[in-house]
Amino acid sequence: MAQQKQYYRRKKVCKFCVERIDAINYKDVKLLSQFIPERAKIMPRRISGVCSPHQRRLNEAIKMARNIALLPFTSE
Amino acid sequence: MRNYEIMFIVHPNTTDEDLDKINTQIEAVITAGGGQITKIEKMGKRRLAYEIDRNREGIYVLFAISANGEIVKECERRLRVLDAVIKYITVCTDEEDRRFNKIKSYRQKRAARRGSGSRSAAAELPEQLADDAI
Repeated sequence: MAQQKQYYRRKKVCKFCVERIDAINYKDVKLLSQFIPERAKIMPRRISGVCSPHQRRLNEAIKMARNIALLPFTSE
Repeated sequence: MRNYEIMFIVHPNTTDEDLDKINTQIEAVITAGGGQITKIEKMGKRRLAYEIDRNREGIYVLFAISANGEIVKECERRLRVLDAVIKYITVCTDEEDRRFNKIKSYRQKRAARRGSGSRSAAAELPEQLADDAI
């Protein structure tokens, strides 16, 4: 046991899997905006804990929403 | 025939009559080509996430239609021509619907199977949450 974690870290879970959100729609700004931090970048999986199938769909949805000005590309 | 969603943003200073005029125009294009309109939704005035042609606001309109590619092409051409429309997007919703129905039927089947057994479907979720907490 060379490395023992000093702090307990809560295991990240995919929000979409746990809450059973089936539809990731580009119109659902409330849901999507949870995954864009201040700079309006898409939050990486390693931080949000979203599983890869869901992250893929989330990506698409966010990009669509950006296109129609529901979400920003950047924020100053 | 495929299902599409056409969403477009109209200039914020457009009056209601003009907006209706645009809507009827698009409607006419769709019905003339043999398409069907499932839903027209005026989402009202919203703040845009970024400036488009110096506009900070816009009126959103959503059309849900079932049509073929040519009708959609014509709709997009019309939207491009109209000065009041500042941005539009067309999304094919077929795949998403299929996926949604698949998941839904799967859930139902599972719930039915669980319901017939001793465990209920409701018992499943807290169990999973408990696992995460460990």
